[in-house]
Amino acid sequence: MSFVEIKGQQIELDEDGFIVEPDLWSTDIAEYFAKEEEVEELTEQHWKIINYLKDYFKQFGIAPMVRKVCKDNNVSMQELYALFPTGPAKGACKIAGLPKPTGCV
Amino acid sequence: MKKKVLIRDFGQETPVLCPIDSSDIPLLPGEEQIVFKDVKPAMKEKYDFSLDGFSALNLPIPQTPEEEAKIVNDFLRGLEKVFSEENNWAFLQPTVLSTDYCVQCNTCNEACPVYPESGYQDIYRPNYRAELLRRIYRRYFTTAGKLLGKWAGADLELNWRVVYRLAELVYRCSLCRRCAQTCPVGVDNALIAREVRKLFSQEMGIAPEGVHKSGTVNHLKSGSSTGMGSAAFLDTLEMVEDIIEEKIGRRIKIPVDVPGADFLLLHNAGEFLAWPENPAAFAILFDAAGISWTLSSEMMGYEGVNYGVWYDDVQFAKILVGQVQAAKRLGVGKIVVGECGHATKATVTIGDRICVGDLAIPRESCLPILADIVTSGKIKFNPQQNNFPVTMHDPCNMVRLMGIEKPQWTILNAVVPQNQIYPMPNAGSENYCCGGGSGFAIMNSQNFPQWRNNLSSRRKARQVLEAFKDVLDPSIAKYYCAPCSNCKGSARDSMIEAFHFKDKYNMTYGGLVELMVNAMPGLPQPYISWEDEF
Repeated sequence: MSFVEIKGQQIELDEDGFIVEPDLWSTDIAEYFAKEEEVEELTEQHWKIINYLKDYFKQFGIAPMVRKVCKDNNVSMQELYALFPTGPAKGACKIAGLPKPTGCV
Repeated sequence: MKKKVLIRDFGQETPVLCPIDSSDIPLLPGEEQIVFKDVKPAMKEKYDFSLDGFSALNLPIPQTPEEEAKIVNDFLRGLEKVFSEENNWAFLQPTVLSTDYCVQCNTCNEACPVYPESGYQDIYRPNYRAELLRRIYRRYFTTAGKLLGKWAGADLELNWRVVYRLAELVYRCSLCRRCAQTCPVGVDNALIAREVRKLFSQEMGIAPEGVHKSGTVNHLKSGSSTGMGSAAFLDTLEMVEDIIEEKIGRRIKIPVDVPGADFLLLHNAGEFLAWPENPAAFAILFDAAGISWTLSSEMMGYEGVNYGVWYDDVQFAKILVGQVQAAKRLGVGKIVVGECGHATKATVTIGDRICVGDLAIPRESCLPILADIVTSGKIKFNPQQNNFPVTMHDPCNMVRLMGIEKPQWTILNAVVPQNQIYPMPNAGSENYCCGGGSGFAIMNSQNFPQWRNNLSSRRKARQVLEAFKDVLDPSIAKYYCAPCSNCKGSARDSMIEAFHFKDKYNMTYGGLVELMVNAMPGLPQPYISWEDEF
């Protein structure tokens, strides 16, 4: 566990740097995570994926399978990795403020 | 360099008892160097890294003599329970036998995947770990030990360091039981490690986060260790049907909640999220073979894993009862477990003491059913569609623990050309652990993944390189087949990501059913796609 200060707010992170309280997520936090996850600038395409992940998580309580992310957003796996170099689970989900994936995944 | 650490010195006040240096570890063929990242000083100050410089458990260092004393007292209270009938009805007899009858021949040590790959560090010997427990037990619970100490083989004095180092040490054994298999008198040192894990969890609340908090606790709360609730499961399943349609050109309705089906299939729920081609392949095969089966969308009915099997009898029993009740409510004839070794072990074998009376239901591995599809001729497979080198990993829990040795090879021989099968040395019940067994594959705290990938998974990687030694050329795409979710996760984290076998040798990995479907007639395209999936 650790804390980072983002725009004057103390945000608690787990040991892999995922947000502990998804409700505290903000666009500023997304910008902060993006830099940590090797994304130089969050473009419209990034935001589309981020918002999709957030909506899915809100509805179902987990992150969707990566294939579904690709299909529903009309991107290939390669394009997804180009957008989020550290990967959809570690990179995109972290930026979107989802908790760390659990179980045998 | 091999570091000798006497058992009586296990609690010595030294920052790290047996520091593991990358130069200790024998390199793989073609591997240039091993680099361990330094632990941040703030972490070292706060958490206990004093066994080998790694931490799997995030144990906070005690700050007061009272805290230190509590650790020792709690441990002793738990140890007494491990050896008492009313508290350990599940495993008392084999634990007592394995404690009493070791003749110290140390045959087990060489059988271990970790001990040789660590550069023969004493602390990782299977019998070192078990002997620690034996000596503590004798010292504190036998008259001879109390009176005679070292003269009665009871020379280890407890302090908090002994307890915490032992807690970490039981998470340096993947419970593969290769040591138990080789023991001439049948001592099971892996069981001792597992029973000590149980002591730590049930008595002291100490367990890896991925296994307990986000594992079994999450499972019992949400219905799956992945956090997947029933609605998410159904949504995911629809996507699996999309994948089937995309791959084979027609849609299959995956049977869900079908009352009275011949069997309920339990997958490791991680498959749906990480390797959906695997449950998709099961559906394609069962559909083509005309088998009566179903999945369940009921909470506890769609997640096959039971992490309790690694560390906690109470969590284990709660999960198993939930799974069996879901099957009973559907009125299926039996439970069949998909390609997951631990789920098979937990549900089929270890569940025996629980699945009695109202909970009695036949339970079995999927492998004999899949082999029957091959031998019955229900599907005519064309092995030439798998015309690439394949090696097969025999999952420890299916093969060594349960003796399921032949079905997977019957299948492989029917769906892959003979000249493309490259068995590993020691294939079968002598096979080595993938390195991710007993929770290792999902334990990612602190620097533990570095230990896992570099020590625990090294022997498997060596075995794979030996199997493929004549076809390592990266122009030849090759397939590491592991009919077990956990072993696939481990292959991804170690061989693909840490050892770069994809980049270096063009090796990919996957399950057995994917190979079966890839050999089915009438596919519009190969089922296994080499680039996209992994």
